[in-house]
Amino acid sequence: MAVAPISNPGGESGPGAFPSLVLVQGSEQRTLPLIHSPFSVGRKIDKDLVIADPRVSRDHAQIISENGSYWVVDQGSKHGTYVNGQRVERHKLERNDLVEFGARGGAYVIFNPIHPGSNTAREFLSQISGLNISTDTTDLEKLTMFLEAARKLNTTGVLDEILVTLVETTLKLTRAERGYVFLKAEDGSLELAAGLNSKGERLTNDQTFSNSILQEALSSASEFLVTDTSQSLDLAGRQSIVAYDLRTVICIPLRKYVVQTARPAQGSGEPANAGCEIIGALYVDSRFASRDISSVSHDILRAIATEASQLIENARLVQAEEAARRYQQELAIASSMQQSLMEVHIPEVPFARMSGRNLSCKEIGGDFYDATSTEDHFAVVVADVCGKGVSAALLASTLQGMVYSHLVAQLPLDEIVAAVNRFFTQKHLGEKYATVVIARISRKGELEYVNCGHVPPLLVSQQAVSRPQNGNLPVGLLPEASYEAARIQLRPGDRFIIVTDGVTEAENARGDFYDNDRLEEVVARSSGLEEIFTSVANFCGGTPLNDDCTVVELVYTG
Amino acid sequence: MNLKMDTKSVDGVAVVHCSGRIVFGDEASFLRSKLKEILAANKKIVLDLSDVSYIDSGGLGTLVGSYSTARSAGADIKLSGLGQRVRDVLQITKLVTVFEVYDSEQKALAAFH
Repeated sequence: MAVAPISNPGGESGPGAFPSLVLVQGSEQRTLPLIHSPFSVGRKIDKDLVIADPRVSRDHAQIISENGSYWVVDQGSKHGTYVNGQRVERHKLERNDLVEFGARGGAYVIFNPIHPGSNTAREFLSQISGLNISTDTTDLEKLTMFLEAARKLNTTGVLDEILVTLVETTLKLTRAERGYVFLKAEDGSLELAAGLNSKGERLTNDQTFSNSILQEALSSASEFLVTDTSQSLDLAGRQSIVAYDLRTVICIPLRKYVVQTARPAQGSGEPANAGCEIIGALYVDSRFASRDISSVSHDILRAIATEASQLIENARLVQAEEAARRYQQELAIASSMQQSLMEVHIPEVPFARMSGRNLSCKEIGGDFYDATSTEDHFAVVVADVCGKGVSAALLASTLQGMVYSHLVAQLPLDEIVAAVNRFFTQKHLGEKYATVVIARISRKGELEYVNCGHVPPLLVSQQAVSRPQNGNLPVGLLPEASYEAARIQLRPGDRFIIVTDGVTEAENARGDFYDNDRLEEVVARSSGLEEIFTSVANFCGGTPLNDDCTVVELVYTG
Repeated sequence: MNLKMDTKSVDGVAVVHCSGRIVFGDEASFLRSKLKEILAANKKIVLDLSDVSYIDSGGLGTLVGSYSTARSAGADIKLSGLGQRVRDVLQITKLVTVFEVYDSEQKALAAFH
């Protein structure tokens, strides 16, 4: 398969203001800007993107732009157009969508990827400034173009670059010598976010700008403040103006526009910008010796004032979105790790067998069970962690890990739960705790178990069901709790069944609990877990479970 | 919100009558903040649970948490009038051995004197 280079009918420069397609073919990839609409794809040589693959139709698809969004439209191709694996006729493209034409698994394009390689904001903007703009374009139009384009950027760390470019553009438009952007910190103070002189050199906060003019601009209700110090005796006396020969200062407060539901009544005396929160300021100045900038068009200043604020807001939103996206990703990773951790691998031993089943009613449930064996022992732990979601999952994983390592070290069960309890209570996890049962069978049929807050397990010996009454406090609730384990000698064929309270507290439509009697009755006549779950399901009818149900059965085979 | 709490003062003891369900979420948060508020003014509390139909693991955690907080602040919470459901839960979790539990509000009050 060969891909012909994209035709370039308009002769405009490369990627930039337009979204791009990244064509991926084997290990190669290429960025194709969507410089006009419709953008055609097909096998025919006159297409904007030519894919020389027999499965691609001659006129395969088009990518069209409508009201700011992009659509892929299949042109009646033989083998179809796919977006993210789904065959589509006409589909609105979202960033990072993967589009395939005819051949699944061959070459594909990614629409406007979030991380378009090295296409950073700076590059992007330099391409824009290099655009061949007709001579009658005004500075204002250029600025608007630049801002529009910059707004479309969605790159991490974009704020800093946006700010520098903003200062750069403002310097160009105003022909001032130095420019700074200040942003309001959380405590309300102004912090220097970017500084640049007309030579393009970065400036730090050397305190040589006029702080008083900055403050004045912020407290005024006007869109910008132009100060010609030679015209004002009052200002001429101010420290920084004298010390640094400042002649003209333009200061533009950056306001976040708050949408107002009702317009304030005319003449109500409220300042014009009452609905606007100041997010910072853009400040440019020139010295005595240099040119006068006080005559800069007010239209331009007004445009900068409104557009720059929006730009910064947008850049901040993009950053927040990116942070949220990363956070989501991390959570997804954590969730899949949690699932792998919670996967049960039942060890095989000659003297016992185990089966377990868990019915989760929420995404991350509070119940879990795990099994482990040493040479002469087989152990199982069943736990119900208080709460739901991430915090419960964290607690469950920690609990599981601690119990596992202590079981492998063959410590007595009461010491294991005491250690876990100490750990959790020392960490002050608030009201987070877990109810736990650990049961361990030896090769000789000796069952050692400790019940910390669970409904009593069931012991089935020759059709007779009993409920051994060992009971302890849950782990993680009280630091001073002490624990006692119990021991029972099993005979071959004896079953030890551990259930969580989700089973006994399963409700039917009338609000009755499934409860212990029904459980004991079904356990007595059943030979496996399926019958128990069927019995619970029959009892509940259509009433959904409101807690996880876990049943684990341990059989001593002798 | 399925929990109501009414507080009265009897001979210097705050008697808190709870009705409804003590469950994870708003109810447990309400119980926690209410007990905290009462503890700021009174070191002796009777928590009457006779009209509490259900307590879940989250509610239990809050109850024990508040109890621990009270004890470490030199205060005391006694429970009274446990319904069958609540009694079962405290029995299973052995928390009956932690709390002082009385059949009625009067008996709990008498234990303070």
